[in-house]
Amino acid sequence: MIPPSRRRPRWSTLLLLAAIAAGAWSLAETGVGSASLLAGREGAAQMIGGLLPPDLDPELLSRLGPAALQTVQISIASLVIGAVIGLPLAMLIAGNTEAPRWLSGLARLVATAFRSVHELLWALIFVATVGLGPAAGVYAIGVHSAGVIAKLCSEQLEAVDPAPVEAMRITGGSRVTCALLGVMPQARANIASQLLYQWECNIRSSVVVGFVGGGGIGEALGIALRLFRYQELATLLCAVLLIVAAVDQVSRLIRARVGATTSTNAISGTRRRSLLTLGRRTS
Amino acid sequence: MSTAKAAMRIELRDVHVTLADRPVLTTVSLSFREGEQVAVLGPSGAGKTTLLRVIVGAVVPQRGAVLLDGIDPHSSRAALTRLRRSIGCVRQRDDLVRGLTARTNILASVAYQWRPRDWGSVLLGNVPRRYRDRLAEIAQSYEIDEVLAAPVERLSGGQRQRVAVARAVFGNPRLLLADESTAGLDPVRAARALDDLQYGGATLIATTHDLRIAQRFPRVIALREGAVVFDGEFAGPADLRRIYGEAVGTEMQTAIGTESGTEPVA
Repeated sequence: MIPPSRRRPRWSTLLLLAAIAAGAWSLAETGVGSASLLAGREGAAQMIGGLLPPDLDPELLSRLGPAALQTVQISIASLVIGAVIGLPLAMLIAGNTEAPRWLSGLARLVATAFRSVHELLWALIFVATVGLGPAAGVYAIGVHSAGVIAKLCSEQLEAVDPAPVEAMRITGGSRVTCALLGVMPQARANIASQLLYQWECNIRSSVVVGFVGGGGIGEALGIALRLFRYQELATLLCAVLLIVAAVDQVSRLIRARVGATTSTNAISGTRRRSLLTLGRRTS
Repeated sequence: MSTAKAAMRIELRDVHVTLADRPVLTTVSLSFREGEQVAVLGPSGAGKTTLLRVIVGAVVPQRGAVLLDGIDPHSSRAALTRLRRSIGCVRQRDDLVRGLTARTNILASVAYQWRPRDWGSVLLGNVPRRYRDRLAEIAQSYEIDEVLAAPVERLSGGQRQRVAVARAVFGNPRLLLADESTAGLDPVRAARALDDLQYGGATLIATTHDLRIAQRFPRVIALREGAVVFDGEFAGPADLRRIYGEAVGTEMQTAIGTESGTEPVA
């Protein structure tokens, strides 16, 4: 027979209750509920009515093409900047490349700073410094994605099989040799996949960043919204949907080609590591 | 270019290693002459791999001294690196870098010699001019010509093993370490892999748990629970008790005695 439970409530139960309470409290305090939705119904109806039919004015359509192209250019340019800054940071941050501790600490700090400030905030900063236009958008997204790339790619680097790297080291390979010829090639496919995913994120960001003057289709969207030109807005929204969907498809196709391995590789990598790092290591 | 530089001489004096509070090597004193070929025999956990790791300086003994060519590898970082560069290493897992071709894996063993131009050349998938003859020679003797351009993950296990040996000997090492490099190979391929290791007069130390492999070497060192229990030429069943201890050794001796052949079974 199971004795009647006289234990105190478990930690997990307490945590769950606390989470529910926090959720309910926050929803109530921010005014979420049927009242606010009801209050907004007229505005919503007006807006949806205003969206239709989408504006197919030839003048707008002729502006649409270049703006869409600029959005794609912003996403690619910011990916280039993000990769050029982010990949070296990732190499320094990853523990298995054995960069000097002060340097990897500094790289980690820089990456965290880049990543924790939102693209929109970066865009406001760059618009204020370099002025309105696509360049500000590229810098903003580039800096933020450099931070993201540094973090995600350093994790990919750390997940590689450590045995071949150690074999290089114990036969006299330098730190640079081990990093470039031992760690990097093993992570290459996964890093390529990571960069493509970042490209998808950048295209979405470039629309948002355009709102605050970062160029591209986002800028046109922001103007249409502020001037209450809802039919124009509808056309632009459709264009954004098409661009994002197209980029996702292209990225998926390329990723299938580079043949990135999934996380199973990473798991077996860490298991092996535990067998090999027994004992005092000198290098 | 195939002539090896003078082989390495190694001396271990009263080496004691404890890993995770467990003694792995206890007062091991051994010396290896230049060009000597030695098998280190013992069951798993006997300390064979640790012995090799002590020699390459990857494990620092708590007590005792290691001297390679009379030099303490831990005297300076430069000394350690210089000694390591004259060591070739083959382990049971081939340790090749996935994502690189067989050729680049082999060339990477001498990356410390590269000039910036060589880096560019190798990263673009080419072979620097001064390595071409050497690579052709090695590829021919290990029969890997056809797989040089292939990424290593596409090769068969046997091909990978040969590429790993080719990589280990490419830079004319003065010491070759083989850690269970024949484990998992059938007897014919194991014999072939051993022959591959007899390279250019370098000192060779090969660990194995298989007596049939070990007895092909002129000198066998047997380790049991971190201590050297046998050191010399394997002369026959009479040595089994020293290598494996009274109980197991006697059992094996009896087993061999009842068989018609003289081939000891490990």
